[in-house]
Amino acid sequence: MARVVIFGSLRAFTGGVGEVEIEAKNTRVLLQKLSEQFEGLRETIAAGVSLAIDGEVFKEAWFTPIDEDSEVVVMPLMVGG
Amino acid sequence: MSKQDFKILGTRPIRPDGLDKVTGKAMFGADKSVTGMLHARILRSPHAHAEIVSIDTSKAKALPGVKAVITGADFDELKNRWTGYTSQNCMAQDRALYDGHAVAAVAAISKSIAAAALKLIEVEYNLLPHVTDVDEAMKPGAPVLHVGVKARKLGDEVSGNTVGYYSFGHGDLETGFAEADEVIERSFKTAATHQGYIEPHACLADLGSDGRGELWCSTQGHYNVRLICAEILDIEESQLRVTASEIGGGFGGKTTVFIEPVALMLSRKSGKPVKAVMTRDEVFRASGPTMSSSMDIKIGMSKDGRITAAQAKLRYQGGAFPYQMVMMGAMSAFAAYDLDHVQSEGWDVMTNRPKMISYRAPGAPMAVYAVEAVVDELCQKLELDPIDTRLKNAAREGTKSSYGPTFKAIGLVEALEAAKAHPHYSAPLAENTGRGVSCGFWFNFGGQVSVSMAINADGTVNLIEGNPDIGGSRASISMMAAEALGIPLDRIRTIVGDTASVGFSDVTDGSRVTFAVGIATINAANAAIKEMCKRAAMIWEIDEDAVEWVDGAAQPTGHNAGEFPPMSLAEIAAVSGKTGGPIAGHHEGAPDKAGVSFGVHLVDVEVDPETGFTAVKRYTAFQDVGKAIHPAYVEGQIQGGAVQGIGWALNEEYIYGEDGRLQNPGFLDYRIPVASDLPMIDPVIIEVPNPGHPFGVRGCGETAIVPPLAAVSNGVSRAIGKRMFELPMSPPKILKAIG
Amino acid sequence: MRYIVAKNSRDAVALLGAGDGAQPIAGGTDVLVQMKLSGVAPSVLVDLKKIPGIRDIVLEDGGIRIGACVSGAEMGENDALKNMWPGVVEAVELIGSTQVQGRATMVGNLCNGSPAADSVPALLAAEAIARIEGQDGQRDIPVFGLLEGPGRTKLGKGDLITSVLLPKAAKNSADAYLRFIPRTEMDIAVASAGVNLQLDEAGVVAAAKVALGAVAPTAVLVEDAAAALIGTRLDEAAVKQCAEACEKACNPIDDKRGTIEFRTKVAGVMATRAAKIAFQRAGGLL
Repeated sequence: MARVVIFGSLRAFTGGVGEVEIEAKNTRVLLQKLSEQFEGLRETIAAGVSLAIDGEVFKEAWFTPIDEDSEVVVMPLMVGG
Repeated sequence: MSKQDFKILGTRPIRPDGLDKVTGKAMFGADKSVTGMLHARILRSPHAHAEIVSIDTSKAKALPGVKAVITGADFDELKNRWTGYTSQNCMAQDRALYDGHAVAAVAAISKSIAAAALKLIEVEYNLLPHVTDVDEAMKPGAPVLHVGVKARKLGDEVSGNTVGYYSFGHGDLETGFAEADEVIERSFKTAATHQGYIEPHACLADLGSDGRGELWCSTQGHYNVRLICAEILDIEESQLRVTASEIGGGFGGKTTVFIEPVALMLSRKSGKPVKAVMTRDEVFRASGPTMSSSMDIKIGMSKDGRITAAQAKLRYQGGAFPYQMVMMGAMSAFAAYDLDHVQSEGWDVMTNRPKMISYRAPGAPMAVYAVEAVVDELCQKLELDPIDTRLKNAAREGTKSSYGPTFKAIGLVEALEAAKAHPHYSAPLAENTGRGVSCGFWFNFGGQVSVSMAINADGTVNLIEGNPDIGGSRASISMMAAEALGIPLDRIRTIVGDTASVGFSDVTDGSRVTFAVGIATINAANAAIKEMCKRAAMIWEIDEDAVEWVDGAAQPTGHNAGEFPPMSLAEIAAVSGKTGGPIAGHHEGAPDKAGVSFGVHLVDVEVDPETGFTAVKRYTAFQDVGKAIHPAYVEGQIQGGAVQGIGWALNEEYIYGEDGRLQNPGFLDYRIPVASDLPMIDPVIIEVPNPGHPFGVRGCGETAIVPPLAAVSNGVSRAIGKRMFELPMSPPKILKAIG
Repeated sequence: MRYIVAKNSRDAVALLGAGDGAQPIAGGTDVLVQMKLSGVAPSVLVDLKKIPGIRDIVLEDGGIRIGACVSGAEMGENDALKNMWPGVVEAVELIGSTQVQGRATMVGNLCNGSPAADSVPALLAAEAIARIEGQDGQRDIPVFGLLEGPGRTKLGKGDLITSVLLPKAAKNSADAYLRFIPRTEMDIAVASAGVNLQLDEAGVVAAAKVALGAVAPTAVLVEDAAAALIGTRLDEAAVKQCAEACEKACNPIDDKRGTIEFRTKVAGVMATRAAKIAFQRAGGLL
């Protein structure tokens, strides 16, 4: 089970829940499960989020593998530059 | 990741675009013309906010030489809300939302006829209340730019202009502030600034009645231009070929479209190619400057310099349409520090100003400015050394960042230590002079990329990438290809392909190109190497796996080692026609793990106590770039970022009158620094390899604009003995502070 | 728009006086920019550069006459001029960039009527005299007498300044010009000052002229500021009094380039600093 941290203002859409454990082999599955668990997050996830998996930031990469003991931080989608 | 030995990376070859640029041969946006083309001019709203009651174009259409006139009525409503905003920003629909907002456009056989036709267009406006200041725009009761776009979960305490809210952080602020010996809370303001690229937006559009189009334009991302324009014009992406011209600066400002859809629409309507070139006045009024800001920062520190708690509230003003950018500021604000108790919040706010667009590390410079100013004030108050204090709190590998992720290998401590050891830091200070220090940070991006590489029969290599070269990428990509292939650099020519010649590539932004295109280039080279090894194996009649690539040649390995003399790339290429045809390699991907970058800037400023004039006397910039592929370009990036930041700190600002009109749409009163304003900016390259890139590359283009705002402000504050809380620190403001 | 090259000054005056909307052009660094910004072209553009003698710098009665089409760069290369009127030359040389210097003229700067024109305070302090070719012939008028308001001069229809005379500089005298801009070049004065000082044999100021720019509708001569310097070696009290007199003479606007408060304070600073430079150039010891 990966430890998933819902970061900052995204918690407004999880009823304040900041951390959950989710069984997911990759980011796509993880995001699907998150959307199912937190209806309020669905719109945000559909629009795009960034994920930090064990410290590495990923942008929209569905098939990035997630280890059993990974820490995944879900953040708003990073844009611009 | 250990440091590697390279043959080509780290050298300083002559730039491939140098000759064309110094001789004037290089083709920029406005340099392309075709027979029979028309000239476009755009009519712009003189009002900050007005309902467009009616537009009468009949007189303009009747003027001889005018071939097409368009208004918002020619543009369809779009399903995609974000492209819809872009379209409405290019041509207003029912309301003009800022001074300079396009309301109509003309294509005519000459520029002067087009200009004359603009004067014949009659627009009836009904003036509406306007707002240009971020704090005013957030207040309940402020004129709201668009209804129904307020950020979810925000209450009545803020107006409907508040389109974004973000918060980041961890720990408990109350606990942290209770541990502090000193707590300082300050409010800051920064003005909107413009990227100041010298080349105005320019394009040549040709859209035939068969739905096929050609578009030549100055852009940071021609695939993005294609995507947006195809949607606005309702044509298929395959039918619109977009070619990026050479670019005279972008810095984020050319990551969207302003005139391209207008030129395409005029071309469709007139049946002729249409050239559109913005004037400087239009660039200021109607392209995309960066955000202005209003910020509150509260930081607690123990006597020995440990930050116990830190809080930021950032309110950004981003112009006339919904946007998302304060998030980057809220994430960057405290990135340099290892903190137990930290929170940053940000609000994106709309006003009657041109819609903001990226400007080099968008969102970060102002947030970091405010934070670093308070850190400096705490150092002054507690009589602590500014660099030692930053070292004490510095983020390093394993630090849980204030925005969530835990940092991998990063180079902040190395940059701070280099700054401390540099002779600049210990040099004596003259009278009326202050020394400012600041850290800076940028995320750096990866993203989608395509590279195609062809090995020619004469042993040379052509490489096509899809990212406009705004900072030396043709040089760095050629160098990485040469390094990977093991051949001399002069055998390689890299070009930026148009949208029909190589696969999709994200915009040149986020300091991503040397990183992402570099990875694609290395992978493309490896694909070509694999094929070359296979050809050699066929010639030698040995197993493909028994061939390895060493120093630009295939050679037998294992039990076949030494059996055949190595075959060089040129030798394999020469017979490629007989061994299976042309040899090529390509790669398409979306690399992540870009590797964040930190910088530390040191500046000495002298303030004239009688006039408030600030002279930058000495400037040294330290930055972790992972691996500098072409150090001269990297130094140029660091110097350029520092200079833009100095301009932001001292004189650059969008000045709006009570009437909501921009008062300084030109380089005379929008003061970017000129060469004589600056000392030589001394760049110091730090290389802590990025584990996410085969050669250790980190993006290097944006970090350098983040530290100068606070470095200069801290220098000025120390020079005059009064803290400054507002940018720009133009002479009248400094003289007033001196009193 | 018609473009006509005037063969001589009488031709030019006739052309300028004839119809409405005729506009003279010398270096063109203001005229062309205004045409481009406004999008409106004059009916006739009368080029003055081919008028005989109009690009000459000549000695006259110990002074120096500067033709209306002499560029800033040409003034900067003339040693006699630089030696006699260094303040006027440094003022003209501050206008625009190196490229602009190759075309911009001092007389054009004067005729443009900007309160912030760099050459004008220096010309006032030098008591320069403009030679005007008009419908009724030629006349000489002190530059001071030509100033009227922002964008305006007292030149009548068809009046053409053909040259400016910088009179013979007195013994032990020198001038200086300083301006304040937020940058170091390529800018317009926020406040400026031209100072011309004459010292007696003892090194004491015997005569003085102090002129300010960008702090009133036109450049102004400040007699009280000059009086504060006369009879002194620019001691602290004299300098302070001079600065205060300058501040009193200021009547600036509040705009994007500077506040009233700022312009007023800085005008005094510029005047006293320019005075010190002029004093030293004249041989005075501070």
